[in-house]
Amino acid sequence: MGGGGNKIVTGAVFWSMGGYARYVWPCFAFAGVILGWNLWSARRYRVAAQLRARRALEAADADTAAATVVAIPSTVGEKA
Amino acid sequence: MWTWFYKLASPPYVYGTAAALAPWFLGLAAIAIGYGLVDGLVFAPPDYQQGDAFRIIYVHVPSAWLSLFAYVGMAVAAAIALIWRIKMGYAVAAASAPIGASFTLLALVTGSLWGRPMWGTFWAWDPRLTSELILLFLYVGVMSLRSAFEDPARGDRAAALLALVGVVNVPIIHFSVVWWNSLHQGATVARFGKPTMAASMLWPLLSMALGFMLFYGAVLCMRLQGEVLNRERQAKWVAEAIKS
Repeated sequence: MGGGGNKIVTGAVFWSMGGYARYVWPCFAFAGVILGWNLWSARRYRVAAQLRARRALEAADADTAAATVVAIPSTVGEKA
Repeated sequence: MWTWFYKLASPPYVYGTAAALAPWFLGLAAIAIGYGLVDGLVFAPPDYQQGDAFRIIYVHVPSAWLSLFAYVGMAVAAAIALIWRIKMGYAVAAASAPIGASFTLLALVTGSLWGRPMWGTFWAWDPRLTSELILLFLYVGVMSLRSAFEDPARGDRAAALLALVGVVNVPIIHFSVVWWNSLHQGATVARFGKPTMAASMLWPLLSMALGFMLFYGAVLCMRLQGEVLNRERQAKWVAEAIKS
């Protein structure tokens, strides 16, 4: 396994990366962090925007309903 | 062609397209990155000079390419928004900036970690490294400028102008290793003629680069959906889009 092209090497040799493990693995770990952060933050941003939009729509619906309720007595009053 | 171009001005079309494309981009990115990682870490032979340290190339180069690609994408979107007054251009530019900034940071950190065993130092004020650092500052500047205005429209315009001015840094980064004496190695893949890398090392690199580009596409689509919703909160089509 790994680290030697056609050669078969053991797991320990693979993880040691020819003595460069302390440089190679942090690079891949940081790449994982960056990919994970991007995915997490993009999802969070989208969900937050959807929530805000939903609240704005609900508020608009509530305003419309309140305006209708207010309009009915005034119409009745005018007729009386 | 122009019909398609003008469709990009329509927020519902952009939102729907981004929603449809994101999972495909993400799935394909996972396949390309998975293949690149296994082939690059397990099957590619060590470099005859750098040994296994060369494997850092499989995250460093794709992230560096993506940092430039995302900036050019942001600048093109900003130009479209400024010239044709297509507001979705501002949304694309705003969505692209944080992704590009994060991959620029990744390129700088992995380059620094690669530089320590090869050059004996984590950092040198080398033309390639310095111009890439300037790219990170440009990304941060674009994001900060956009949020610095109370009027979002003015913030969008100011950030778009900075993105356009900063695009001059892109060829400087690319040609810095040609124009000046640099510690950084010259182009090995993106050059005229044949790449100087062996195929067994090159394929995982190209796969990782493709995977990073697809990942960028996926995350851009997701962020773009959020941007469009934030800008179009009061529009009627949003109610339908959220329900579906």
